[in-house]
Amino acid sequence: MTRRKQYELNQGKGPSMWRSLEDKNTDPESLKKLAEEEQPGGFVRDLVAPASLVTRRSLLKGSSIAALAAGLQGCLRRPEDIIYPYSKSPENLIPGIANHFATVTARGRDALGVVVTSHNGRPTKVEGNTLSRASLGATDVRAQAYVWDLYDPDRSKSPARRQGNALADATEEEFGSFLQELLKTHGADKGAGLRILAPISNSPSFRAMRAKVLTKFPKARFHTYSAVNDDNAREGARIALDGAATVPIYDHFKSAVTLSLGSDFLGNEQGAVAAARRFAATRALSSPDAPVNRLYVAESNFTVTGSMADHRMRSSQTDIEWYARMLVIALAARGLDDLKPIAAALVKNKDEGAAAAGLDTKWLEAVATDLANHRGQSIVLAGAAQPPRVHALVNAINAALGNFGRTTSFGPDTDRDDPASAKSIADLAKDAEKVSSLIIIGGNPVYDAPADVKFADLLARDGLTSVHLSTHRNETTELCAWHAPLAHELEAWGDQVALDGAVSIQQPLIAPLYGGRSEIEFLAALAGEETTRGHEIVREAHGARIQKDTKALLGMGLSTKELNGDALWRRGLHTGILFTPQAGKPSVVTDAVINALLKNKVREEPRAGTVEVSFEPDPALWDGQHANNLWALELPRPMTKLVWDNAAIMSPATRDAFGLKNGQMVRLSKGDARIEVPVWPIPGHADNCITLTLGWGRTAAGRYGNGKGFDVNPLRMLDGMDFTGDVKLEPLTETYKLVQTQTHDRMEGRPIAIDATLDEYKKEPDFASYRSVDPVSTPPLWKQQDYSDGYKWGMTIDLASCTGCNACVVACQAENTIPVVGKIEVERGREMHWLRIDRYFVGEDEGDPQVAVQPVTCQQCEEAPCENVCPVNATVHSPEGLNDMSYNRCVGTRYCANNCPYKVRRFNYLDYHGHLDDKFAWYGDFPESRKLQFNPNVTVRMRGVMEKCTYCVQRIQEVKIVANREDRKVRDGEIKTACQQACPSAAITFGDLNDPNSRVAKLSGIDRQYKLLAEIGTRPRTTYLARIRNPNPELRKKGS
Amino acid sequence: MSYDAPIKELGETYLLPEGTTAHQVTETIARVTENKAPRGWWLLFLMSLTGLGAMGGALTYLFVQGVGVWGNNAPVYWAWDITNFVWWIGIGHAGTLISAILFLFRQKWRTSINRFAEAMTVFAVLCAALFPAIHTGRPWFDYYLFPLPNQMDMWPNFKSPLMWDVFAVNTYLLISVIFWYMGLIPDFATLRDRSKSLFRKRAYGFFALGWRGAHRHWQHYERAYLILAGISTPLVLSVHSVVSFDFATSVVPGWHTTIFPPYFVAGAVFSGFALVTTLMLICRSVFKMQNVVTVKHLDLMNKFMLGTALLVGYAYAMELFIAWYSSNPYEQWVFLHNRLGWGILDSDGNWGPLWWAYYTMVFCNVVVPQIFWFKRARTSVPIMFIASILINIGMWFERFVIIVTSTYQDFLPSAWGMFHPTLIDILTYLGTFGLFFTLFLLFVRWLPMIAIAEVKGTLQGAHPDLHAVEALDEPGAATAPVPAE
Repeated sequence: MTRRKQYELNQGKGPSMWRSLEDKNTDPESLKKLAEEEQPGGFVRDLVAPASLVTRRSLLKGSSIAALAAGLQGCLRRPEDIIYPYSKSPENLIPGIANHFATVTARGRDALGVVVTSHNGRPTKVEGNTLSRASLGATDVRAQAYVWDLYDPDRSKSPARRQGNALADATEEEFGSFLQELLKTHGADKGAGLRILAPISNSPSFRAMRAKVLTKFPKARFHTYSAVNDDNAREGARIALDGAATVPIYDHFKSAVTLSLGSDFLGNEQGAVAAARRFAATRALSSPDAPVNRLYVAESNFTVTGSMADHRMRSSQTDIEWYARMLVIALAARGLDDLKPIAAALVKNKDEGAAAAGLDTKWLEAVATDLANHRGQSIVLAGAAQPPRVHALVNAINAALGNFGRTTSFGPDTDRDDPASAKSIADLAKDAEKVSSLIIIGGNPVYDAPADVKFADLLARDGLTSVHLSTHRNETTELCAWHAPLAHELEAWGDQVALDGAVSIQQPLIAPLYGGRSEIEFLAALAGEETTRGHEIVREAHGARIQKDTKALLGMGLSTKELNGDALWRRGLHTGILFTPQAGKPSVVTDAVINALLKNKVREEPRAGTVEVSFEPDPALWDGQHANNLWALELPRPMTKLVWDNAAIMSPATRDAFGLKNGQMVRLSKGDARIEVPVWPIPGHADNCITLTLGWGRTAAGRYGNGKGFDVNPLRMLDGMDFTGDVKLEPLTETYKLVQTQTHDRMEGRPIAIDATLDEYKKEPDFASYRSVDPVSTPPLWKQQDYSDGYKWGMTIDLASCTGCNACVVACQAENTIPVVGKIEVERGREMHWLRIDRYFVGEDEGDPQVAVQPVTCQQCEEAPCENVCPVNATVHSPEGLNDMSYNRCVGTRYCANNCPYKVRRFNYLDYHGHLDDKFAWYGDFPESRKLQFNPNVTVRMRGVMEKCTYCVQRIQEVKIVANREDRKVRDGEIKTACQQACPSAAITFGDLNDPNSRVAKLSGIDRQYKLLAEIGTRPRTTYLARIRNPNPELRKKGS
Repeated sequence: MSYDAPIKELGETYLLPEGTTAHQVTETIARVTENKAPRGWWLLFLMSLTGLGAMGGALTYLFVQGVGVWGNNAPVYWAWDITNFVWWIGIGHAGTLISAILFLFRQKWRTSINRFAEAMTVFAVLCAALFPAIHTGRPWFDYYLFPLPNQMDMWPNFKSPLMWDVFAVNTYLLISVIFWYMGLIPDFATLRDRSKSLFRKRAYGFFALGWRGAHRHWQHYERAYLILAGISTPLVLSVHSVVSFDFATSVVPGWHTTIFPPYFVAGAVFSGFALVTTLMLICRSVFKMQNVVTVKHLDLMNKFMLGTALLVGYAYAMELFIAWYSSNPYEQWVFLHNRLGWGILDSDGNWGPLWWAYYTMVFCNVVVPQIFWFKRARTSVPIMFIASILINIGMWFERFVIIVTSTYQDFLPSAWGMFHPTLIDILTYLGTFGLFFTLFLLFVRWLPMIAIAEVKGTLQGAHPDLHAVEALDEPGAATAPVPAE
């Protein structure tokens, strides 16, 4: 790889250009010093660490042939493979015009195809890949946020070694020679005592390299540990599907009745992005007669999936299993013959009697009837936290309902022999005595391993050589002897396979900023491979299959001209999909399911004074890997709207039963394990249950994430990785300040997020516009602007589809360079998100409400109240009806924001683009690396300036310029706003309202449309489509 | 200056005790600027300077860090800054009312307090004008608010009430200063003539603009004064009406109210009189001017306060009535929940957390002034002192209630917030007192704090036909205007 040297002035040849005689006659050294004084840190040096820069020349020179072929031009920091000088500037590299590259990001054993926007070689924005079945063109929160991790100023910048009690920087050479030494030692003993621990990987190359390492060191062992995993589902499949470790993939589009048994399939579960799109498609009704599905959810925490439910049952995690068991009995009674043996066994076990205590059988009967009436068009899902036997049972139910092959399919059976994470790391701890060298590739087991594994003690053992490769020097690194930086996904070649078997290539968009290597490159080095270049490893891993496919295609009559050696590879890079999915066809083994179920004979009643605690990944920080990510830290959690902290989430009733106040600290203990967390109530949570989110309370995450929230891992043990009962709760005296972005949870009877049941909709299709008054009678004060000429931009937001997952919020933040303000500022109500998702609780029952979510952003009012009141014309209307902000003019009177009825304007009260300091010190010192993420098409706003959603005006202009050049109108769907692009449920539509055939024009004319606060006379351009709930008439009759 | 003899048959007496001579008046007033300052003055001056220093510190911090050092947030984008602005500018109104409107209505009793009130106006408007200038996010671009031709082709938005504010406040400041200075000219000449040191002579002489007390001077002076009074009179009504437009023309529930212009003007006069009373009572005792500012003056001022309090109280009641009558849920929420606090409106039964601000306002502005129905209260210095301070507090709360309780819970409950002031908020507000009192104390120390020439015009001996008037049988026969001196 070419390294960038310091910016060189005149290189001692004597200045050819000079500004003064003094300038001319000085020697280069002092000139350099002069430049340093003028521009502290050098011109570009601060962008990244000085040791790893490309010279400006080399950036113009370098280009990779493969990259060229794949359209990978435009990397300022080029991947290291095959660099040739430009003989002329590469095609498509136009400064100021972004390039887009298809790549993929890992989701445990699944993969999410994405397209990354690159501005002059800097990846700045992640979008969905329409060709990827896991993405369908959308992304989740983490995909939006992971580009931030690339520029995290606290990434590890060099190898390091342990000196005394601390890590000290080491050079690549030192690390290299240490590694050679280690290999030599283990070469001699065939790897006895060598253990390698890595998180779950979905990479075929990783598997290939792992096999090679094991060939070279036959006595070495690989272990796998991820704190958040799909092991329960895999184990369940092993039980039910005759040993096939394969996770079901559901097609919600084909489902009429869906029952989720604790599964947050629209939120945290694998495949949520695609699930949301397919699920939403059945809810976004265009007329009262359109088919609509029905969702039943039984869950403990209030999740986004629960918020979409038509009927939601609050249940402890333990009881969910008993609901599942009773469901089997109920379904068998409704003529599902395949379930009869299981039902018989359960009846014999007196499940009905055991379960009857406290479980709502009426609800269950209604669900069973509904499911039985929709065989082959229904889905039953089990949550990732449910034990394997429930997953096994759910597979059996889906098979019996005839859903296999219709709504439920399976990918290939991969990593069949991989043990579950918990077991794998427990095994490692068990023979700790035999381990002499432990190599940890990625992950952070010291932080997130089960508490009773005591991973930190394991690392502290005498005579153990530990190596940690990671992007950050985290808690684990701090205890290891050696460390080397790991490359970010956007920096390294790789390959990933999705659950359905589709293979994608992970393309680097930028050369490693800090010289990190990827997992596969490191393993290749361990295995002593000839090449340790990621690109070649990946190509080699798929070479045979590419050749085979090429041959097959040639056999089908395609000419060699179209199919030269690289064609498939290049197409794979271009589309983001190298190989299409493969389907597995497992069948259910009933006996195994019965055996598994009978191992758990009695439903345990919770003991008084104890609670059930369940663990779930944080929607943004996940297991803690994004704990230093500012976007993730300040993302309002979908239901609680908490930011910058996690809490013990419980129902208001449980809070009152223990006599707690909001934010009061409690000690949760089980045996010796204990944690202290503040309490936060959420209506609709199951009683006597507490939900804790992982990923918080890191101590070595970085400057932003350290000490934020509470580490709940000390309570997480091998026998209760997902949930655990009998946890003692002791109130403590102190309280902790938790901060929300939305503090009022009720609509107070106002027509804001309007919803209706299907029956009401059928009776009165335009109910929404009735409930919100359209002020036709309010004549405007002055002559109306005529927008019938040219474009008339508008947006619709379908509340029936929106799950409130927050992907749009982060997408907007990434696209528009929206600053993060910190906990104290959020507490003051000064968060900057241009797009917020309002969450209201609906319904009389305060313990068990329904939820209405509503994304609110600038409504681009035609009669904008903000515009009249601005004294300096800083916010004005464009001829296309956009409410534009002219930042340069804004003096910051904030009058516009006062007069905005939607309160969507955001004010830079302080210099939020400066350094963020929780203690509210002086702002300054913004890390240079983070500036690389900024979208060059968007102004960075200074303090004292008002800002707000622009409908992504930069994207509109970009497309308009192209259209103008081609002398045509902008096509419908050509412009996608950032929020629309990211939305997994396609709830947001944008386009030209003047074009009667555009999607947005059609949608804004359908019967359930309404305009928010239209009665004020603002004439918003954004139209909301009211939400339709589809309750089961039977349940309503019974008053459930 | 006109002369109206008191109608004895009605029980009227001279404003100043009979037998007060013109020399005594000059002596009483002018000696304040000539003698050494009393200890009380120094004490107050040091306190004021401390306040001014605190403001300097607070403003420096504000300019360096940004408006975020205040408690303003989303949705409460305006808070103490605009509250203080409206409060200060309201206070100024008493001065203009006293000097212009009462002048036109020939209210002679104004002469003892008008100078004082005008000075207060000027300083209060300065304090007020400070807030719009510093509350912007980028105060260095404040000049964008003025219609200055520039190379950027920028022009202010004349639709914006804030723009109208700029004109209203600036006009007001300009006219107030001119009016004040105009009235000072004959008194400057008096001071000049009494000067014993050359410096004083030169300084006062410079400002006296060569005044010699000639008839022609007086004639021009009186004419100009009358014209300026005429110009100022509409300002009393217009400035605070324009300020109220900031709120009335918006869509915010609680702001969007047609009653605002008269309501604001009444409130402004109300608070202005209260502050004049407070200051007057202090100066009167510090500089021993009980003979010039008599209990009779105070009594009249208290009646004024009572009257305006009733107007303000009517406005409060009418706002609530309209909120109820309109059936507008947003407006009802603001008035009944946010202000009155009614928890029954909230689905969780929570009272509006700022209810106490509303009740403080009602107590201070409506309940307290009712005491002035009683003559004993109107003539008791301690009672009126406490009442005037309470009224000032109440009027500050009125602006706070209007601004904050309207915005912190407006249309969309998701965007609702709360307001908490910061130390800098408090320091900035207290700092304006520092600024105000520093200027004010310099004023009372170096300028004639009571209009010497005008007070002399009300003396018994000011009438050229004094004896003839007394000899006449029909009262009021000689009330034709005659020059005072």
